Parts: sequence; structure tokens; C-alpha cells
Amino acid sequence: MLQKAILETRRGLAAAVAGGVRLVPLENIRASLILSRTPIVTPDMSEFDKKFYKYQEELERRLMWTFPKWFYFKKGTVAEREFTKAQKYPIPSHPGVWFPKGLPDIKHGRDRRFRQDIILPKKAPEEESGEMENETRAIKLNSRITEADKKNDQASLERKLARTLYLLVKQDGQWKFPTFPVENEDVPLNEVAENGLRRVGGNKINTWNVSRTPAGILKYSNGKLLDCEQSESPSVKDSSIVRDYLIKSHILAGKFVPQDKQGVEEYKWLVKEELEPLLGKAYFSQVEFLLSKV
Amino acid sequence: MSLAFIRPFSSSVIAQKVGCAMVKPVHHTIKIEKRLLSPRFPDLKLDPSDIRSPKFRPRLTQQDRVLDHYYNTLESDLLLIQYRHDQIDVEGNKRRKWDMSSPYHLNRPLRKPRGQIVPSPTIKTRTWKNIPRLENITINCFVKEAKIKPELAIAATLQLQQITGCKPSPVYAKANVPTWKLRPGMRMGARVSLSGSDASQFLTTLTEIVLPRIREFRGISNRSGDRYGNIAFGLRPEDIKVFPEIENNQDSWPKTFGMDITLHTSAQTDADARILLSGLGFPFTGGERVPKTLLNDLKIEDENVNDVVTKNSETRAEA
Amino acid sequence: MLFGIKNLRGVIPRSNSVCRIQQCRLKRSKAGLSPEAQKVVSQLSVLSAGRKMPRLIKLCNEDYVKHRTIMKAWSLERKNKIEQQKITLKKQYESMKKASEDLKFASPKLFTIANEHEYGKRFPLEIRIPTDYPPRQLWYYNYVPRQKK
Repeated sequence: MLQKAILETRRGLAAAVAGGVRLVPLENIRASLILSRTPIVTPDMSEFDKKFYKYQEELERRLMWTFPKWFYFKKGTVAEREFTKAQKYPIPSHPGVWFPKGLPDIKHGRDRRFRQDIILPKKAPEEESGEMENETRAIKLNSRITEADKKNDQASLERKLARTLYLLVKQDGQWKFPTFPVENEDVPLNEVAENGLRRVGGNKINTWNVSRTPAGILKYSNGKLLDCEQSESPSVKDSSIVRDYLIKSHILAGKFVPQDKQGVEEYKWLVKEELEPLLGKAYFSQVEFLLSKV
Repeated sequence: MSLAFIRPFSSSVIAQKVGCAMVKPVHHTIKIEKRLLSPRFPDLKLDPSDIRSPKFRPRLTQQDRVLDHYYNTLESDLLLIQYRHDQIDVEGNKRRKWDMSSPYHLNRPLRKPRGQIVPSPTIKTRTWKNIPRLENITINCFVKEAKIKPELAIAATLQLQQITGCKPSPVYAKANVPTWKLRPGMRMGARVSLSGSDASQFLTTLTEIVLPRIREFRGISNRSGDRYGNIAFGLRPEDIKVFPEIENNQDSWPKTFGMDITLHTSAQTDADARILLSGLGFPFTGGERVPKTLLNDLKIEDENVNDVVTKNSETRAEA
Repeated sequence: MLFGIKNLRGVIPRSNSVCRIQQCRLKRSKAGLSPEAQKVVSQLSVLSAGRKMPRLIKLCNEDYVKHRTIMKAWSLERKNKIEQQKITLKKQYESMKKASEDLKFASPKLFTIANEHEYGKRFPLEIRIPTDYPPRQLWYYNYVPRQKK
């Protein structure tokens, strides 16, 4: 019954559009941009995951074949001598010697009952000193926690490297995804959103639009957000509803710098959990599944 | 002594009558693994994923960053990119019925599809259930000179093992070409199929270390592919020297062997597979051809309904 | 006898390398392998499991139960994750379907543009597979848009 009613109203509306009357005025169509910064480092592991991977890795090391030293180091070379010197070889079984852990079973200098530890010689061989030293210099790992994390600088793109960050702006005194009105029907929604972003945030920003298809829709009636059920019901008149189509994009380079007199007062790069208090429950529940958990 | 009842294949013998067997002779078609029947080696009956099995090898030894990237970023993006509203299935080229003009058409196997021998699959609409993903990577290394120097096939096998960290299986010649001195059964190279973390590891080495350092490499050709979502490309012998495993042990590798890499995806078409692979870091180059049948995958009846509605409204207006 | 074989080999020229390996096998008793054959042997020794295989893991019953518990816990967690992911994707799919349906009604023109197929779309190379540790330059800020001609 309800569906039939909807269908009938739809048909009537379609007829009206064909007759030249727009039931949804163009100013009631807007494009919202979900601009995200994809993670730079791998997701943080839970304690269980870390231990599990450690366990599996130990099993793998235990079951690894013996390292074929003779293939990598030619006999009689300096490198071979250095490598052999660095290894810890197990004690071979000997008549009259008692081994508390059982008799060793040694093949190719490895006790086959245990994992094999390969120790790399610390110093590079002396003959190739200059260049090799540079190459074998210990690699310094950068910290996964950045300056921005320590200061909790929410306007920085360098925070929370393991998470997806989303751009949130304060437009018209309200925190939301940047929203731009459609002025011309010939310009596709994704271009409206991208152009709007450059107008608001400067053009020194490189973004990649995921798709022309909107990922979601938000409907407002008299400036109030409609929830899913309300927006489906035929009682709300279509002409008065403002529609926000959500367009997805990724930021690749550059920076969002709010321009003067463009209606954006503040901006923040936030992860999913931080969005909820700013967006409000109603808004967040309608976009929550579009946002990455990681 | 108790006699166990054995179910015979033919009932005619017992009845001492002429007749045909009513029991289907399945003993030819069903394979029996003697390994499972024999009580001799109980360890070999275990599944390789069981830690007691001699074949056991742990597979989840580290975080798989390719898989994580796929689940966190690519999957939902791919769904959005490949989503089309009002999409319908594109019927594949199927086997045709006979026109029954001859009595021999009765019970005859169906005719071959038009213009091809094997029927092509139907392309299903994109939903959240069939988002393309990388399934496995196959590397095939066929060494032509191995027919004269069989030891090259061994070297090629080792090269594959060094690069991938997995044990390759040998490839033998199938054809008999006397002019090339090629006989069936000659060992010609090796092949390895990678999946899971091995595939991820190989993929990242390829996209982050090897391909950027090959000077002539512009990208995988957009024309490459087997139509059903598997993209292949080749590496020349000199490109192999860039792999870190080979580069750091150059003395052992005076000669390297080129190889063909096939990226198997669960995509239904090559075009979809290319979008996925570009997300995994493979560059593509050249013009792309998409079959015309794939472009016309939208429902048309809806427009007709609209047309009817508009016509009705027009007539109403006239009245 | 051995002398005779050597003589024979001298008479019949053999260039095939298989023969060379075979010759080497004959020679083995006297001297070491030829360098070429030695290389093949060392390559085969890297490939094969012989003498390099570790012993089987023999778990006591308690350890075996522990191992199974760990694996079960892991597979349950992973199953839950995959299910969650499926549900999210389904929601996303329904959301884009709803949005497209609505756009079709609100503005057929915008809808036709939005619904065009996107074959030939490529992810940019800037979107990289995340690494375990960040690069030295965390973010490239000095982006200057290309001038349109």
C-alpha cells in the first residue's frame, strides 16, 4: 500500500518534471565531500594479534630448512670466514658426555631439533670499507607516533598515521563534511564538490575523486536532518527537502588552508571515533558505515 | 565364520539371468586414495594445516599489509567505482540449441556458441558480494635453451625459489618439435603459484622495489588479460637482476631467466581487474578496449515506463 | 677398465652437458667435480630438503590442545572481522543505491553523468600500500597544481 502510494507520487513527479516544472529546485541539491587521508602506516595490532604472529613466526623458524651457507658464501673467501666466525655452532655429541636436553642431531652445523639462529657478522669485510659501510649502516626506523600526535594537533595531516583521517569543517556554525550547492546542472556532482573544496580550501591541494557516483544521501527538511525512516516516507514534500549527496575523495598531497570569506571558520582532520561528538548522533549514524574503522 | 555381505556391481550374476546391471559402475569414476585406507602411515592422513602433519607450515607469520590495505581502503572504493545503478546481468555467449530439422538432433549435445568454442560466462551485476580481489599470483619460467642445456632448468627453478621463497614445481615440454630438438618430457623450467602472505610479499617487492627500477618499464599493457580478470605480464632476464635476492648475490647469478607473471583476480572482466591492480600499485599503460557488450548493461524498460508516463501526461495536457 | 673408458671418451666427442655431469660422476672417485657440475650440485642442494629438514615438531597432548585453542581463537576473531566487513559493505551498497535512486528522481541529468561506467579509472600511484614505519617525509605539502593550457 505504502509502496504503491510512493510509486504514484513518483509518477506524478516525473510527469511534472517532463512538463518543465522542477519539483526539486536546483538550490535544494548539494554535494558533500568526504575527503579522507588514507593510512600511511600499517594498522595497530591488538595484543592478541601480536602474540599470535609471534607464535606463528617461532613455529616457522623452528620448521625452516637449514640455511645453505655454501650457496651464498664461496669457500675460502673472507666473507665466508667472517660469517662462519659469527655463528654459534651446537656442541656435537661425544661418547661419555651427558646432554641434559637429549643427544644433539647435527646436520650442516645445525641441531635439527631446534631453530637455527643466523647471526650476521657485525663489521663489513675490511677490503670494501668505504661504500660498504654506508650500505650496512643500521637502519633507523621512524616513529609511528608523530609530533602532531604528541601535541594532539587536530588540524595536522600528520596525525594518527595508522588511521584514515577525514576532513571536517565548521560551515555556518556547524561541524560537517564540506558541503557545496549545485549551481549548474551540467556540472557533475563530483566536480561541484572538488571545485568547492578548492574555493574554500585553496587550490594547492591534490585530491583524487573515487567515483562520480554518490556514496550516500542526507536529507534536510527546514534545516533539520531527516532520519532514514522519515526520508523514506511520502508525507514529506519533495520540493522542500534539501538533499546532500556524499561524494568520496582521497587527498594525495598539499594542504587544506581555509580561505577568507568563504564560510569556513575551522577545519579538523579526524578519525572515525572523533567525528561522532562533533557531527551529532543523527548525522553520524547516517554516515558511520561509510567511514573506515582503521 | 561369518560372511560379510558385499554389495555386488551386477545383480544379474546372482539371479543367474541375462540382464543389465542396475547399480551404476561408479568404481571407475570415484578415485580412492589408498593413503587413506592404509594403516601404515597415520601422519600422512592428517590435513597439512594440522600441526602434527609432516606437511605443516605456519602461514600467518606476520601482519599482511597488502590484505589490510585492501580491506581498509580498496574494497569499499572499488564497490563505489564499479557500482552502476539499474545494472543488469550481461548474458554470455552460450551453447545453442539445435533447430530440430533432423531427427538426429534429438538428444544431441548442444551446438557450439556462435564464433567460439567454449561458452563465455554471464557477467553478473556488481554487488557487495562480488568485489574483485587478488586471489593468487602464478609465475611461470620457461627456458628455451634448457633443451640443449638441461642444467639451466635447474638454475631457473632455483631462481624462482630465491625470488618467491616458495618451492616451485618443474615444467616439462609437451610438444614434439623435431626441428627445434624439442621432445615431450624435457624439463624446461619451473612454475610456482603464490597465495596469501607469499603473494603479498612478492607483490610488494615487485611494485615497490623491482618495477620502479626497471628503466624501460612503462606499465602493464592495458591490452593484456585473458578477458576474465587475469592479467599477465613478462619480465626479461635483465630485469630479474633487480630483485634484492638476486642483486645481493650476483656472483651466483651470471645468468638470469625471464618469467611470465599472471595476476589472478576474482574480477569478472579485465577492466575491473585493472582497476583493482592499479590500487595495489601496478601502473598501466596504453589504450584500453572494453567489449561493447559490457557497456550496455543498464535496464532499458524503466525508460519506457517514463516515456509512457510522459506521453500520458502530454495527452492529458492536450485534453 | 677405467683407463679404457677414458680412452673411449676421448674418441667420441660429447658436447651435451648431461654427459658432462655423467662424466663427472665417473670422475668423482678420483678427483673433485668439475666447477660446472659442482655448481649444479650446489643449486640442487639448495632446492632439495635432503639433510636440511628439521625434525618434526612433537607436541605433548597439553601443548597440542593449547595450539588448537590458539588457532580456534584466531579463526573466530577473523571470522567476526570478515562478517563485520561484509555487513558494512552491504550498508554502503544500499546507501549508494538509495542515493542513486534519489538522484535519478531529483535530477535525471546529474544522474546520467553520475551513473556512467568508469572503466579505465585508475588508483593514483600516490596511494601506497601502508608500510610498517613512516617515511622520512610524512606528507608532501608543496603541491602546486599543474597549469591548464
